[in-house]
Amino acid sequence: MAPEMSRLVRRVTFVLLALSAAAVEVAAIDTRAVAASLGLAAGWVTLALVVNLFVPVPADSHRNPPKWVFPLTLGLAAAPFAVEPLRRSWTGDGDPLELQMVFGLRNVGLGLAACGGWFACLRLACVVSLFLTLFAAVMTGHPAVMVILGLYTATGSIWLMLVYWTGLRAVCVAPERAVAVEELPERQRLPWVGLLLLLFAVGGGLALALVGPKRAALALVELIPTSGGTGETDPFARYGVGDGPEETPGDDAKAAGMVETEKMIEDTDRSLVDVVSDTYGPPHKPPADQERMVAGGFAEVIQSDGKPPDNRRPNRDFDTSRTGPKGDKKPDSRAARGLFEVDGRTPLHVRLVAYGGYDAIGKRLIEARKPSSRSIEAEGGDWMRLGQFKSSANWYREDERHRLKAADMADNLVPTPAMLTRFRINKVDKPDYYEWDHDGVLALAGRKRTPPGVIVTTDCHTLDPARLPDAAFVRAGAAGVTAPDLCEMQDAIRPEIDRLAREWAGDRDRGWQQIEAVVTKLRTGYTFDPTAATPPDHPAPVLWFLTESRGGPDYLFATAAALLLRSLDYPTRVCLGYYAAPDAYDQQTAHTPVRTTDLHTWAEVRLQDGHWMVVEPTPGYAVLGPKLPLSERILQALVAVAAWAGRHAIELFVTVAALVVAWGRRRAVLDAAAVGVWRLWPGKTWREQVRRAVRLLERRGRWAGRPRGPRQTACSWLRGVRSDASEHDPDLDRLIRMSEWAAYAPEVSPPWDEADAVVVCRRVLEGWTLWRWQQLSPS
Amino acid sequence: MVETMECKMSAGAVPGTGQIDRLRAALNRALRGKGRVVEQVIACLLARGHLLLEDLPGLGKTTLAKAVAGAVGGTFARVQCTPDLLPGDITGFSIFNQKTREFEFQPGPVFADVLLADEINRTTPRTQSALLEAMAERQATVDNVRRTLAPTFFVIATQNPVEHHGTYPLPEAQLDRFAMKLSVGYPDRGDELDLLAAAIGDVTGEPGSDPSLTEGELAALQAQVARVAVQPNVRAYLVDLGRATRSHPKVTLGLSPRGLLIWQRVAQAWAFLKDRPFVTPDDVQDVAAPVLGVRLGLAPDAAGGVIHHLLEAVSVPV
Repeated sequence: MAPEMSRLVRRVTFVLLALSAAAVEVAAIDTRAVAASLGLAAGWVTLALVVNLFVPVPADSHRNPPKWVFPLTLGLAAAPFAVEPLRRSWTGDGDPLELQMVFGLRNVGLGLAACGGWFACLRLACVVSLFLTLFAAVMTGHPAVMVILGLYTATGSIWLMLVYWTGLRAVCVAPERAVAVEELPERQRLPWVGLLLLLFAVGGGLALALVGPKRAALALVELIPTSGGTGETDPFARYGVGDGPEETPGDDAKAAGMVETEKMIEDTDRSLVDVVSDTYGPPHKPPADQERMVAGGFAEVIQSDGKPPDNRRPNRDFDTSRTGPKGDKKPDSRAARGLFEVDGRTPLHVRLVAYGGYDAIGKRLIEARKPSSRSIEAEGGDWMRLGQFKSSANWYREDERHRLKAADMADNLVPTPAMLTRFRINKVDKPDYYEWDHDGVLALAGRKRTPPGVIVTTDCHTLDPARLPDAAFVRAGAAGVTAPDLCEMQDAIRPEIDRLAREWAGDRDRGWQQIEAVVTKLRTGYTFDPTAATPPDHPAPVLWFLTESRGGPDYLFATAAALLLRSLDYPTRVCLGYYAAPDAYDQQTAHTPVRTTDLHTWAEVRLQDGHWMVVEPTPGYAVLGPKLPLSERILQALVAVAAWAGRHAIELFVTVAALVVAWGRRRAVLDAAAVGVWRLWPGKTWREQVRRAVRLLERRGRWAGRPRGPRQTACSWLRGVRSDASEHDPDLDRLIRMSEWAAYAPEVSPPWDEADAVVVCRRVLEGWTLWRWQQLSPS
Repeated sequence: MVETMECKMSAGAVPGTGQIDRLRAALNRALRGKGRVVEQVIACLLARGHLLLEDLPGLGKTTLAKAVAGAVGGTFARVQCTPDLLPGDITGFSIFNQKTREFEFQPGPVFADVLLADEINRTTPRTQSALLEAMAERQATVDNVRRTLAPTFFVIATQNPVEHHGTYPLPEAQLDRFAMKLSVGYPDRGDELDLLAAAIGDVTGEPGSDPSLTEGELAALQAQVARVAVQPNVRAYLVDLGRATRSHPKVTLGLSPRGLLIWQRVAQAWAFLKDRPFVTPDDVQDVAAPVLGVRLGLAPDAAGGVIHHLLEAVSVPV
């Protein structure tokens, strides 16, 4: 191919790859903004263009590409699979296997286009781009993809014309240039190694699918583009194209899926169910069990095929648009693994009951009063805002968003975190669908059970208690704190509690300093023992905990903290609820499951604006803090690293010293290893033995600053080294001659015993050590 | 075992070294201190190529040419090229014999075994072209009769690069017929002292002209050179270099396939001179400058740099 024509074809091939990359990005996530997808594709193409600048253009584009292209291509194909676990671990987001495969192909296409100087790479890149474009067209009917498809067709036609013209030019050019297309006399050899690898890969895949474990076969199926990565275990599988006709409506599809999956189509308003009931009679459900449901439009009513929805597990949010995985399923695979799942930062305190006081006569905790359900106000977009907190103070940090997915709730509670400001369940757009079960504990009105799969999106305040002003903490008797039970304490225990509180608070100013002192004392001076039981005959278990046992379950910590803080004139209460522990975070699903075993008790302090601030006196538990800016997080990480390094100074020093020594001696170690391998397997023929030995010498020379130049043969390079050496080495002379014969002589017997080659090579390798190379003056 | 190995390794020498040594010695006697030039001349001779000597006056071009002719043996002819030289003066012509009443062909100097075309750029292109067929095909067509030249026909042409008045630069087609272009260059001081010493008492100023090769020996040596092996990787290297010349921005006329063939033959001869039965990329590189210098379309002062760049740009097979 003429150079200028080759350049043009390469450019057009890049355009094809750019179009296919854009189509793939759009098709991969077609709910994303097109500009974002195009920008992403442009980034990849730019990267390939930069790489292209560093790839040499061969003198003859028809020659086979160099050997490094093959591992490079393999690496590019495997890169998405290698990055995916890290991405899932760090960001919680991920792609199904089919998209990883397609992204790998895109990488391969761009890599081949960057190596477009070789015509074989160019053609392969074009084929890959065609596949990617077809994949995108099959995957989605997005208008952007259709436009890209049209552009691709036009560009592809130009590509074909250019390649055809190139052939014509090769025939019609002037005689002195026609030699550019002459056939090489070199015999074309089949790429046996590549073919064997391909055969091995295909055969191995088939064998694995036929006789291997079922999971392996399913994973192979997931790799097929447009399969959707339909796996049993991959949480990011989204099922295949055409597996289901329905799309989840709404602007936030992920949040919307589960509600419509459920048969929540009954309502007091007339809906399709009512029409059906009018026609065929009422549903066979006793009136006592009937629940209020969210009305769905005609287009949104989905006729279930009877299979149980796979919606109680995290990330299974697309059941309405795709059918479930085919094949057998174990019954427990659809089971929920907890009460609900938390998507967002943890730790998180989810209230169930708020206790305001303790009934000494009845010997039970007194539940806090319920606020009015009218405090919930619709805000638009199905968001509900808590009206009593409309005028929140300005000491809060940025709101934190969570998505809590009900999996197997036993009652009608809606799990919400503390300091809630607003919440949303998609399609539930009326406040009267909600009610307060307790203060700060939300529930679905009129329902017996929160349907599995319902996703509650919540926004809650976060705060840094150390930065709260003194005014944030209201006094027990202040206006607004109308519930006396939040401040009361039994007279029998008051003296001891007061004494302890004053002792622990010391002379600290009122505010977080006092609260922190009390909490810190409890967290550091007391032992958390969930199995400890209070003596049944003890009149005041809290006093027994504080003064005698100095340890116990979490409710005693919470009660003690509440009472001690009340003694210091802070309105407090004890809350029972669930604790979403960071330790339980599941990297695979990027959710934190909350189980019945996560039941926990903590204390809360009332703030000036009506919010209840969580106080965690139990050791091992923590409170969700504000999301720190990057600089602060880096600083905290550095401090943590420094502290860790201080604790492990000796181990760290030994490790670093070992690494430094290993790094300094790395070449000697690598060389010894390579020579060891050569000694074990020097090669079958004398030519192979000599070539390998010369390669080892070349590496030593490169490390010693005497590399072989690109125009130097190994023999001439070694001759130069020999002439620089102070003493004559006959073995090196022999090796030079042997290397000349090994590289360029025809297949005839050499003028020496073939068995002598390995002896000479060994002597030279022993004589010309890395150290000796380093003693030579650099070339 | 080391001694045994040494003996065996030295046994790889190719035959014909005795004749080569005699030839080398004869030429070195004629041209003192120019061992590399002599080696290149011998390589050109063994590769069945033709030689263009380009240098300043008085550096021994003609002496070298005459020494080659004398050493090779066979018939020798010399043409002093002038602007009024005609093609027939080189190829020969037919004259009418009044006794036999027939035209008889009088062969020109081109029918000698060694032809020295002195100052070839002083004759007209028309006359220069008379050599085209002879050099490429070793035949001459006169009066529509094709006459075959000696199989070892060897042209040595000289030209002066300094004088331009009244000269006719050789066309590219003519240049491509030459295997290589050499410059003799000034001798070293010691060699010049030896030269002066040897000239004392020498009346003729001509070196001895006893032939170093007997009849048929040169052809046999050339046949041996043609059989020197060139492995596929070295051939691919040659082809890559040739293609690189065609795409080099400073080269207006790249290497032709004929040039590539000549390059390979010269490299074979170079390997033969080193007693090696196969060609290495070092051989290709060693002869690159004289082979490419005569045929690449280059500015005179850019030749060395471009050839060096070409050799740097193409990786050698190892």
